[in-house]
Amino acid sequence: MILNIHPGLSILAGILVVAVLAWAFWPKNGLFALIDRLRMNSRRVLLEDALKYLFDCEYKNIDCGLHSIAGNLNISADQATKLLDRLRAMGLISMKDQSFQLTDSGKSYALRVIRVHRIWERYLADETGIDQMEWHGAADRKEHRMSAEAADALAAQIGNPVFDPHGDPIPSAQGELPEHKGRPLSSLEEGAIARIVHIEDEPHTIYEQLVALGLYPGMQVYVLDVTNGKITFAADGEECVLTALFAASITVEELPEQEPLSTKATLLSTLKIGESAEIVGISPHCRGQQRRRLMDLGIVPGTPVTAELRSASGDPTGYRIMGATIGIRKSQADFIFIEKKEKHADEQPA
Amino acid sequence: MNSQHDCENCPVHHRENLIRLGIAMDRVDYVVALAGNPNTGKSTVFNNLTGLRQHTGNWPGKTVTRAEGGYSYGEKRYKVVDLPGTYSLLSTSTDEETARDFILFGRPDVTVIVADATRLERNLNLVLQVLEITDRAVLCLNLMDEAQRNHIEIDERNLSAELGIPVIPAAARQKEGMPELIAAIGEVASGRYVCQPHRLKSRSPKLNHAVSTLAEKLAAQFPGLPNLNWVALRLLEGDQSIIDAVRTGELGKLSTGILSPQS
Amino acid sequence: MAKKQQSENEDILSLANSLRWELGVDFHDTVIESIYADASRIARKTVRTEGEKPAYNWDFKIDRIVTSRWLGFPIMFLLLAVVFWITVSGANYPSGLLAELLIDTLHPVLKNGATAIGMPWWLSGVLVDGAYLSMAWVIAVMLPPMAIFFPLFTLLEDFGYLPRVAFNMDSLFRRAGAHGKQALTLSMGFGCNAAGVIAARVIDSPRERLIAIITNNFSLCNGRWPTQILIATIFIGGAVPAHWAGLVSAGAVVGIAVLGIFFSLVVSWGLSKSVLRGETSAFSLELPPYRPPRILQTLYTSLIDRTIFVLWRAIVFAIPAGIVIWLVANIHIGDLSLAEHFIRWADPFALFFGLNGVILLAYIIAIPANEIVIPTVLMLTVLSTGMHEMGEGAGVMFELDSIADTENILRAGGWTLLTGLNLMLFSLLHNPCSTTIYTIYKETHSAKWTLVATLLPIVLGLIVCFFTAQLWLLFFSTAEAVG
Repeated sequence: MILNIHPGLSILAGILVVAVLAWAFWPKNGLFALIDRLRMNSRRVLLEDALKYLFDCEYKNIDCGLHSIAGNLNISADQATKLLDRLRAMGLISMKDQSFQLTDSGKSYALRVIRVHRIWERYLADETGIDQMEWHGAADRKEHRMSAEAADALAAQIGNPVFDPHGDPIPSAQGELPEHKGRPLSSLEEGAIARIVHIEDEPHTIYEQLVALGLYPGMQVYVLDVTNGKITFAADGEECVLTALFAASITVEELPEQEPLSTKATLLSTLKIGESAEIVGISPHCRGQQRRRLMDLGIVPGTPVTAELRSASGDPTGYRIMGATIGIRKSQADFIFIEKKEKHADEQPA
Repeated sequence: MNSQHDCENCPVHHRENLIRLGIAMDRVDYVVALAGNPNTGKSTVFNNLTGLRQHTGNWPGKTVTRAEGGYSYGEKRYKVVDLPGTYSLLSTSTDEETARDFILFGRPDVTVIVADATRLERNLNLVLQVLEITDRAVLCLNLMDEAQRNHIEIDERNLSAELGIPVIPAAARQKEGMPELIAAIGEVASGRYVCQPHRLKSRSPKLNHAVSTLAEKLAAQFPGLPNLNWVALRLLEGDQSIIDAVRTGELGKLSTGILSPQS
Repeated sequence: MAKKQQSENEDILSLANSLRWELGVDFHDTVIESIYADASRIARKTVRTEGEKPAYNWDFKIDRIVTSRWLGFPIMFLLLAVVFWITVSGANYPSGLLAELLIDTLHPVLKNGATAIGMPWWLSGVLVDGAYLSMAWVIAVMLPPMAIFFPLFTLLEDFGYLPRVAFNMDSLFRRAGAHGKQALTLSMGFGCNAAGVIAARVIDSPRERLIAIITNNFSLCNGRWPTQILIATIFIGGAVPAHWAGLVSAGAVVGIAVLGIFFSLVVSWGLSKSVLRGETSAFSLELPPYRPPRILQTLYTSLIDRTIFVLWRAIVFAIPAGIVIWLVANIHIGDLSLAEHFIRWADPFALFFGLNGVILLAYIIAIPANEIVIPTVLMLTVLSTGMHEMGEGAGVMFELDSIADTENILRAGGWTLLTGLNLMLFSLLHNPCSTTIYTIYKETHSAKWTLVATLLPIVLGLIVCFFTAQLWLLFFSTAEAVG
């Protein structure tokens, strides 16, 4: 009978079973995740990645040779040759004086993959709050397994976005994509005012540091100084220094007639109970549904706000906004910029 | 209590005229949509009109499924559709989609917007959005009793002139203002009161340009559409149901029936 | 013609797309800002506020107290405790009355009537002892507490207090990756899990709503309280000196409920870190002004919308289950009934988890309502031990007035302190009742999430019971525990 097993032994066995179960279902490195990853057709992944890369080269007017393809996909030149031969046999690319060109069907294939990638990034950014360092990697996996129909359905659900969170345009379902515009930040001169339209998310190490600096698409930059291959600029009022290599990862659009933003606003979360202020804006890091919800509640520039009460557990704070008390978590109040008013301005007559 | 008595003698109140139909709606003349922010007493207004007892808690989105009821007034039968309570109509949440699509595609003869008189500015956000979609609306300024207690005075005539729709002060919990509301709904439904709804103007030049470019195209394709700018704006926002309506040509149907009452 | 029109429609859409690319990312903000600009212009023109605001100040004063650092939580626990106390104590009498009417009086009448009109024994067994009796149990045990709990809860809701609970509790749920409003679905779940699942509608983020739905079963519902109290009184209370018995057994029940909240938070955390990943999306919570609730309307609507609704669903599931219960006890293969076969087969396996075959079978066939678990357990124990002088016969669920008699039956069935403890744990951690499962499916429209919500608690329950049993065996003498 199993009852005769020593309890100590069975406890050990139980712990083992639980551990195995936990491992099996573990989301990232678990058994099922592993099986799932193995099931992904690696040949197809390689093929699609190659198409994507070739498309990117054409879009940005860069020449792509065999070696850059091999380097980008992390395969040997030999394998790259075989891969390109296969693409040619499938009618996806053609050769024109030593360089490769996408055929029409190759282009539309690439656009489909890019569309899924960018929609997924946008979805992650808007709806999940998953850390932005993970968007690209997750989308790189998703783009090979999500069907075009599923991507369309997801896009419809999140309001058919036309830009991904890095500022890149999302190709339409019909395969349209606007012209490449903007120029690298490294090409700006002293005194120029521009808006970041895109931050390249590859290579990852550079992207990581740019994000750590707090740069984001839509941010205004004001170039203060260009010397020795280094560019110094004010981004939303804070000074940044980048080497040319880093600055090349940032695409900007010049804004000819505009005053540089200089004031760094205070955060709503710093408002003490009983204090009043005026809302200046919402951080661009607050996206999608979350941003819309806040605006729907009246958090728009110019609205007066008073911190009214703190929750018994300290976190959400109730703010009086347009006659209603709205509970907002600190993590969200950190996204809201305010300008504190003079003390006597909002006091009620005694 | 007292004011309720007074109203028995109001010219608009004909007790025998109002018959609450509950959910018996086999034949209706007019469809009335009920929109409003959460916590404005929308369900109380709904229950007052229809005689039903719908419960909604103090939460946004409690009315997840559409509630319907009916009443009959002045020989006409009205169907009332209670839309989910929302702060806005611009987001992609299910609640707001339901409300937005019903006001646009359901083509209600009248849309009653229930607003909290103590927080008018906040509620006007939704009111202005509804007025972008439809040109037949009535504003029910609910919770007037609370507003009075808070010493808030609202210039209803001025408000009505600004919005271009009838504005009816009410206190639905005390059943005050309901006869006037019913009368106003009747006026708008029958076309005796012609609304001239407030439409938004102040936007960035860049956006105005995009909206008008698109609206021009829409006007050519779907002549007679009453809310061109709004449809154009929704297309720019990537609203899937509008995209589908353009693709299938369904949008064209909205242009024909909206000026005359639904038969 | 139609073709041309269609291509023109597509042209409009592609024009819209290229305009959007030109417009850039954030024009939505401009739209909302322009609406608010108009709104504030109109409001300035038409609204005039004079003097102080008494009503607002009144709200403000209440809020200051109920959300205060020192009083906020005590007030909340006190109010919820009062609600539960009124529910549990107030339901006793009407429940007894209903049981006397439906079970003690009407059941024999029906049984005799069936015999009088010459109905075959198996048919009257299926209909009267099976279908009717399980329905009667469900009504008698379920209706009174719900009819008390829901209106009380709704009154708190209508008054405007519940949003403050969410406001106070939010930071706890935020750390678990969930929404503050889950505090409400959780407390609603103490009344009835199906109602708690429906209440999750107030959470607008789909991800957090799903977390609230899946974890709702960890709230010890009304149907499980009597089981907990009975078993705690017999086994936990019986294990300590008599003058401590009451306090200790009450503490054990509360402990189980608190354990449920603990599991609710831990599982929420686990889900939000794994399959339902992603931080909280859009937390915002309006704290509406306090309004005096309208008592009569609240009574009416909470009775119709919640009590009758849930009760009806439970009855619909209880009737077929009653038939199944009767059949497994009465269909024989060889010398033994189906039930006995299963119990013998499952016993060794179940004992490994510190339970027994009767408990497993009872939880399988009493899936429609937790309320009928104890009657089923008693019936099956009598059946499997052959104590035919007790009970009402094969397939007829029963309960006893005397706790001592109940204890005798259970002890004769081989129950020990460990069995009692593990039953309490398993009663907390097992699949939701069929009404709740059905409601989860209705609310999520997803077979996958319904399956997760159903299986997750059982797996957890088996794990917890297993470790409890084995640790017990490790620390106390094997012979005593297994008996």
